Amino acid sequence: MAGNKGRGRAAYTFNIEAVGFSRGEKLPDVVLKPPPLFPDTDYKPVPLKAGEGEDYMLALKQELRETMKRMPYYIETPEEKQDIERYSKRYMKVYKEEWIPDWRRLPREMMPRKKCKKGPKSVKAKDTSKGVSLPNTADVLKKIEELEKRGDGEKSDEENEEKEGGKEKSKEGDEEEDDDAAEQEEYDEEEQEEENDYINSYFEDGDDFGADSDNNMDEATY
Amino acid sequence: MTQAEIKLCSLLLQEHFGEIVEKIGVHLIRTGSQPLRVIAHDTGTSLDQVKKALCVLIQHNLVMYQVHKRGVVEYEAQCSRVLRMLRYPRYIYTAKTLYSDTGELIVEELLLNGKMTMSAVVKKVADRLTETMEDGKTMDYAEVSNTFVRLADTHFVQRCPWVPATENSDPEPPPPAPILVISEKDMYLVPKLSLIGKGKRRRSSDEDAAGEPKAKRPKHSTDNKEPIPDDGIYWQANLDRFHQHFRDQAIVSAVANRMDQFTFQTQTSSEIVRTMLRMSEITTPSAAPFTQPLSSNEIFRSLPVGYNISKQVLDQYLTLLADDPLEFVGKSGDSGGGMYVINLHKALGSLATATLESVVQERFGSRCARIFRLVLQKKHLEQKQVEDFAMIPAKEAKDMLYKMLSGNFISLQEIPKTPDHAPSRTFYLYTVNILSAARMLLHRCYKSIANLIERRQFETKENKRLLEKSQRVEAIIASMQATGAEEAQLQEIEEMITAPERQQLETLKRNVNKLDASEIQVDETIFLLESYIESTMKRQ
Repeated sequence: MAGNKGRGRAAYTFNIEAVGFSRGEKLPDVVLKPPPLFPDTDYKPVPLKAGEGEDYMLALKQELRETMKRMPYYIETPEEKQDIERYSKRYMKVYKEEWIPDWRRLPREMMPRKKCKKGPKSVKAKDTSKGVSLPNTADVLKKIEELEKRGDGEKSDEENEEKEGGKEKSKEGDEEEDDDAAEQEEYDEEEQEEENDYINSYFEDGDDFGADSDNNMDEATY
Repeated sequence: MTQAEIKLCSLLLQEHFGEIVEKIGVHLIRTGSQPLRVIAHDTGTSLDQVKKALCVLIQHNLVMYQVHKRGVVEYEAQCSRVLRMLRYPRYIYTAKTLYSDTGELIVEELLLNGKMTMSAVVKKVADRLTETMEDGKTMDYAEVSNTFVRLADTHFVQRCPWVPATENSDPEPPPPAPILVISEKDMYLVPKLSLIGKGKRRRSSDEDAAGEPKAKRPKHSTDNKEPIPDDGIYWQANLDRFHQHFRDQAIVSAVANRMDQFTFQTQTSSEIVRTMLRMSEITTPSAAPFTQPLSSNEIFRSLPVGYNISKQVLDQYLTLLADDPLEFVGKSGDSGGGMYVINLHKALGSLATATLESVVQERFGSRCARIFRLVLQKKHLEQKQVEDFAMIPAKEAKDMLYKMLSGNFISLQEIPKTPDHAPSRTFYLYTVNILSAARMLLHRCYKSIANLIERRQFETKENKRLLEKSQRVEAIIASMQATGAEEAQLQEIEEMITAPERQQLETLKRNVNKLDASEIQVDETIFLLESYIESTMKRQ
């Protein structure tokens, strides 16, 4: 149509003056690659604000970060089993308070199901003790007495922890009326002391040793 | 939710709650409202862990649940609330300036735990304060309760929505999830508790050995068998009220910067504005564009006690403020000696604009900033006009305009002369759209903070071995000092860390501090921009 000035001739469709280049001037190079990842800045950034308030907030921030890691809300990722169990790991575990949410405020499906074999750790509420049946308690008490007789001074804390834990767990087991589940829960607990002939203080890493030793017992004795 | 926001949320959740909660939280933010089983299936985590993570998130007000049809409960994450976690230090510091250490600890406990009952808060705070006091002194519960009540009265803490009390004889089966209600008038109502007691110091092991056997030492804090008097009444920190306070602070300091440098009496204008804002604190809702009109007489009566300026001087200042082109204060009537309002929306707009100008200046230089301010003032300008008004040579002006254009601070407005929009017959006008520029800058801020956090984590990870070593050495020194060791032995232990390692630790500490401080400062900018954007959206 009338508008076509030149076929094949370079012509701008708009007024080049408007953009700021004069006619015939060399246009800047075409950019062929994305802009650099860390471009140079012509101007250095302004220094940070410094003052009493800022210092205090900085200290607060760092403290909060540390505190949050110790709160019960920080859920650790379960670590993979290491090849060698280190003795020191047992004693460097950070103790965390249990937190039990207010179930009345949460949907019912949030509550851990009691029929599950591997119940979540939060089920171990300290105040859910109803109708403890006698035989299991007797078992646990016998175990406790046995452990007390072994009486390792430095391990008393741990044992007592386990005793308390064991007691609570057995109560839970009673509620579930499922001895297998209770035993399995107890078994899954990390610091387990098994009823076997091996005195725990004899070996350094007695955690899972009991399980293996039972299997290999026959082969070991000649 | 933009990618930058999601990335930042992911980093924050991971730092504060661990990877499992982070995975669930980010998934919910990305996909919106979902039921429990779908979450477990999509993220590939066990149902049990999903439940735990959701409990934590709900406790911290980061996730809400809703019952949908057919009894399905769906969970929804609040991305903006997750981003508030950046601001926790600022909230706590504000509480400290307003209500001293007690208030600070109350707000800290509420923020760390999401929601708590009043009795639990009072007990914990009293214990913490007692730890810091001298031997023999304890903190009384009554004092902590008083501070708590004051915080509730000024709306800094509020009650969480609660489960309505249902009648016992409910024929229907209980709903799958409780419907929580909240009523305006009860939100700040403090239950009548008589909390009597004093803070307890954590007993040292020496005292303990004499008394009970170690087994009975209460490691859990659940040794209270009495029923909690305010069971079910949970409190949370009211972040909106803190934001209102920050906004007021920003306005007052802006007025101080602008006006008070020219007057010989220090800070009068800002003091007047502060008084006006204080009077409107509870009467004006936080999202309102103007405060309620205040008469000059009322303001005069409410000025702080130490201030003795005469009524005429106050009127002069008010007139001066109302005539200022920034329009922070406006005159809305003449009764009562003159009715004055504070233009909250305009004030936020000015603050956002000032932020933009400052960014342009620091990034592109002061001549660019001049062009930017020019375009802001004149609203729409052609290229030629920009060169003329700014008195900058054409080539440089063009270059600067294009730089700002590609940085999205300035935008082009086309005005066609003919219906076919031919480029040679179209006006191209440069203009600044403050809302979109603010959004762009906000997005950039989110990216910045994400980068800062990542860099800090990288730095810490690089030097992890060294950090652990220094922690162990400190622990050894501390235990040796406790058991009374000689100077020489302590010296020896300290030398376990060599001088270059010490240097490295110093550098690390300095860098981490700088990164942390930068995060806090970028968050201030985020607050201003978000407030402006929110205020603008509400008005549309």
